[in-house]
Amino acid sequence: MTGPRVFSVLLGLALAGAVVFLTLPIVAIFIDTSPGRLVESLGDPTAREALRLSLETTALALAIIVLAGTPAAYLMATRDFRGRAVVQTLVELPLVLPPAAAGIGLLAALGPRGILGGTLERAGVELVLQTAGVVVALVLVAAPFYLRQAEAAFSAVPTSAIAASRTLGAGEASTLLRVVVPTARPGLIAGAALAWGRALGEFGATLMFAGSFRGVTQTVPLAIYERFSVDFPAALALSAVLVCVSFALLLAVKLLTGRGGAVAAR
Amino acid sequence: MRPARVGQLLAAAATAMLVAAVLAGCGRRDAPGALAVSAAASLRDPLTRYGYAFAGGPVRFSFAGSDQLAQQVRQGAKPDVFASANTSLPGRLYAEGLVERPTVFAGNRLVLAVPARSEVRSLADAARPGVKVAIGSASVPVGSYTREVLARLPQPGAERVMANVRSEEPDVKGIVGKLTQGAVDAGFVYVTDVTATKGTLRALELRRALQPSVSYAAAVVRGTKHLARARKFVAGLVAGEGQRELRAAGFEPPPR
Amino acid sequence: MAPLLHVEARTQLGDLELETALVARTGECLALAGPSGAGKSTVLRIVAGLLRPEHGVVRCDGRVWLDTTAGVDLPPERRCCGFVFQDYALFEHLTARQNVAYGLRDRPREERRVRADGLLERFELLSRADARPATLSGGERQRVAVARALAPEPNVLLLDEPLSALDARTRARAARELAAVLRDAGRPAVLVTHDFTEAALLGDRVAVLDRGRVVQEGEPAELAAAPASAFVADFTGAVVLTGAARPGPGGLTEVELDGGGRVRSTYQAEGHVAVSLFPWEILLDPPEATATSSARNQLVAEIVSLTTVGGRVRVGLAASQPLAAEVTADAVRELDLRVGGRVVASWKATATRLIVV
Repeated sequence: MTGPRVFSVLLGLALAGAVVFLTLPIVAIFIDTSPGRLVESLGDPTAREALRLSLETTALALAIIVLAGTPAAYLMATRDFRGRAVVQTLVELPLVLPPAAAGIGLLAALGPRGILGGTLERAGVELVLQTAGVVVALVLVAAPFYLRQAEAAFSAVPTSAIAASRTLGAGEASTLLRVVVPTARPGLIAGAALAWGRALGEFGATLMFAGSFRGVTQTVPLAIYERFSVDFPAALALSAVLVCVSFALLLAVKLLTGRGGAVAAR
Repeated sequence: MRPARVGQLLAAAATAMLVAAVLAGCGRRDAPGALAVSAAASLRDPLTRYGYAFAGGPVRFSFAGSDQLAQQVRQGAKPDVFASANTSLPGRLYAEGLVERPTVFAGNRLVLAVPARSEVRSLADAARPGVKVAIGSASVPVGSYTREVLARLPQPGAERVMANVRSEEPDVKGIVGKLTQGAVDAGFVYVTDVTATKGTLRALELRRALQPSVSYAAAVVRGTKHLARARKFVAGLVAGEGQRELRAAGFEPPPR
Repeated sequence: MAPLLHVEARTQLGDLELETALVARTGECLALAGPSGAGKSTVLRIVAGLLRPEHGVVRCDGRVWLDTTAGVDLPPERRCCGFVFQDYALFEHLTARQNVAYGLRDRPREERRVRADGLLERFELLSRADARPATLSGGERQRVAVARALAPEPNVLLLDEPLSALDARTRARAARELAAVLRDAGRPAVLVTHDFTEAALLGDRVAVLDRGRVVQEGEPAELAAAPASAFVADFTGAVVLTGAARPGPGGLTEVELDGGGRVRSTYQAEGHVAVSLFPWEILLDPPEATATSSARNQLVAEIVSLTTVGGRVRVGLAASQPLAAEVTADAVRELDLRVGGRVVASWKATATRLIVV
C-alpha cells in the first residue's frame, strides 16, 4: 500500500477502536436489561427518589454555574488583566482533580472542621450530609467544564461586532446581552450540557462530602452503587435510566444549537 | 520530517498503543505472581501489614464494602482470595460454586464511635433529637450488624436512632471519615476502626445483650491461578502472621 | 464654516508613534489615505471612543468627547458615531432589518420601523430585510453596514476601508452609492483607505498618513500635482478626471470630459466615469508639436506648478480639469517648462483607466 493509503487505514482503525470502546459499555447495559425491568425500576420509590434528587441537584448546580460563570468567563475572555493565566489555571483545576480529592478538599474547606466550617455554622448554613452539600460538590466538579467552553465561546465573538454595538449606542452590559451572549450561544449551551452531564455522573465527591442518604443526598450514581451489591439487575436498570436521561440531554443540546451550529463553525 | 510522514508515525504509534492496551487487558496478571485479595474495608490496616510480611510473594489488595466485593466476584471478577466481614456473603458465593468452603478467621465488636471530646456518651444520647448519626447501608456487613443491634433495642430508642441517621455509607471507612470530619456526632463502626484512629475517636461499648456476633470469613476463589498461595494466605489469616496482625489491631479470635 | 469634527491625538502604536491633528467640516468627507500600518484606522477608533490615546482631544460640534488633560472620555455609546467597519461587523444572529434598527433602541417602535424600512428601501434591501447576514452577498452586507451606521442619525460618519472587501464590479456601484450618501449626509465624515484613487473619488480633502504622521493634506488634485515628498508622490499615483463615456469608433470608448475635451480609452465603460491616469504616463510636448499617432489622447494645458521631488518633477497642469504629469528634471530644461507656459499633455488610450461612478 502506498503511504497515504496506509495512513487512511490506520486512521480508520483508530476511529473504529475508539467508537467500539466508548459505546460497548453503554450498549451492554441495555442488552443485559429488559425493557420490562427498566420500567419496573422506574416504579421503585428509591429509584424515583434518586432520579428526582439527581435532576433537582444538577439543575440547581447548573443554574448557579451558568449565572455566576457566564460573567466570570466573559471577564476572563475579554479583559487582559495581570495574573489572568493563573486565574484560568486555578479555575480549571477541578477538572484534573480526582473526585475523591475534590470531596476531601470540600470537607477541608467547608466541613465542620474545615477552614470555613465555623463561619458556616455561625451563619446557620449546613452543607455536609445535606442536599445543599450535594449541590456544592456538583458545582465544584462541573463548573470548569462550563467555564472553559464559555470562555472559548466569548473569545470567538468578533471584537468588531462588540465595537459596532458600542458605537450604535449600547453600553457594555447591553452589548453583552444583545450581541455577545447570542453570538456565543452555541458554545455556551455546549458548555452547559457538558457541565450537566458531568454533574449527573458525579459520585466520589458527593459521597465524601454530602454522604449517601435516600431522598436527601443519594443521587442516581450513589443509588446504582448501593444497588449493585444487592441486586445487580436493578443496578443495571437504573444505569440504563441514567443513560437515557443523559442521551435525551445531549440530544436536546444538539437540537438547540443546530441552528447556530453553522454560524459557530465559521 | 514532512508533515505527512509525522502523521503516519503518530497513527502507527496510536494503533500500537491501542493493541497493547487490549492485550494487556486480556487476563494478563499485573505483576508476575502477585496475589489478588478482595477484603472488607475494616481489614485494611492489619491485612496490608500482613501482605508485606507474607512469605508467598507480593499481595495486591482491594478494600471495599464486603457486599460490593462479593457482587464483583459474582459478576466474574477473579481475585484469588475473598475476605468478608460476615459469613453469609462468602457462604452464598460458596453455595453458588464461586468460592471454596469459607473459613472463619476473626471476630470483632460493633461499637458506637464518637469524636474524642463528644457530649454523646451512650446509646441513649444517640437517640436524642438533633444528634447526627452515620451507619452502613443495609447490605454492607457493618450496616446489617447495626440494624441487628437496633432491632434488639426497645422500640422508641431504635426508631429515634434511625431518625437521626444522616448517611448510609457503602463501607465502614466512610463512616469513620464522616466522624473524623465532624460531619456526624456518632456512628456505628467496629472497635478496630476506632483503635486505628489513634485517639481521634472514642468507642462507646454496647451491652453484651445487644452485641451481634461479628465473624470474619475468608475463601479461596475458584479458578484462581495461585491455588497454593491463596490457601496459604487464608491459612495465615487463621493462625499465622495474619492472625498476629489482626490481634495486634484489636480483632478478636474467631467466635466459636 | 466652522469645523465640526476636530481630532488631535498622540499615542504609541506598537513601535511607532501616532501624532495627528485633523479637522472635518460639515458635509465634508476627509479621506485618510496611507499604507497599511500607518495608523489610519487608529484615528477612526480614537474618534469613536473605541481607543483611548495617551494624549488627545476630540471635539464634535463644540462638544468635548475626549480631553485627556481634563480627564474627559465619553464612552462610545454616548458619542453616536456612525462607524462602518472594514469587515462590516454585522450581527449574524439578527436579520438585516434588525441590524439596521439596532441603534434605534430608545425610539418608539413605530418610528424605529419607519426609519429602518426607509433606509432599507433607499439601499434596495427591502426584499432581503428578513434575511440573516450569512445569506447576503458581499455588496448587500456592505449596504446593510452603511444603513445601520446611518440609522441613528449620527454626528459623524466613520468609514474604515468601506470598499476594500468588495470585488471590482461591486466596488464601482458601491463607490457610487457611497459618494451619494456622503453628499446627502450633511455631516462630517472621515474615510480611511489605502487606495488613493478611492480617496480622490470619495473625499473632498485627502490627508496622507505615513508612519503615524500626516505628511500632506489638501484636495486630491493638489496632492497629485504638488506632492510634498517622494512618498506622497508615489502614493498619490493617480490623476482623476471625470467625464461621460460612450462607445466610440474602433472598439474604443470615447469620453467627453467634464468642462471640455475628448479622450479615448481601451477600457469599456458607459455613463458617468472617473478617468484615472498616472502622471508618469503623461508626456509633455510644446504646443507647436504636431499630433503623433491617433492612439494618443491630447489636452492643451497651462502649467500651474512645478514641484521637484527627488530626481523627478511633478508638473501641475490646468486644462478643463486639473492634471499632473511627471517628468525628469532634464525634460524640464529641454522643454523649457515654466509656470504660465502652455504645453500639450498626451497619453495613450491604453493608459486611460475608466471607473464607472
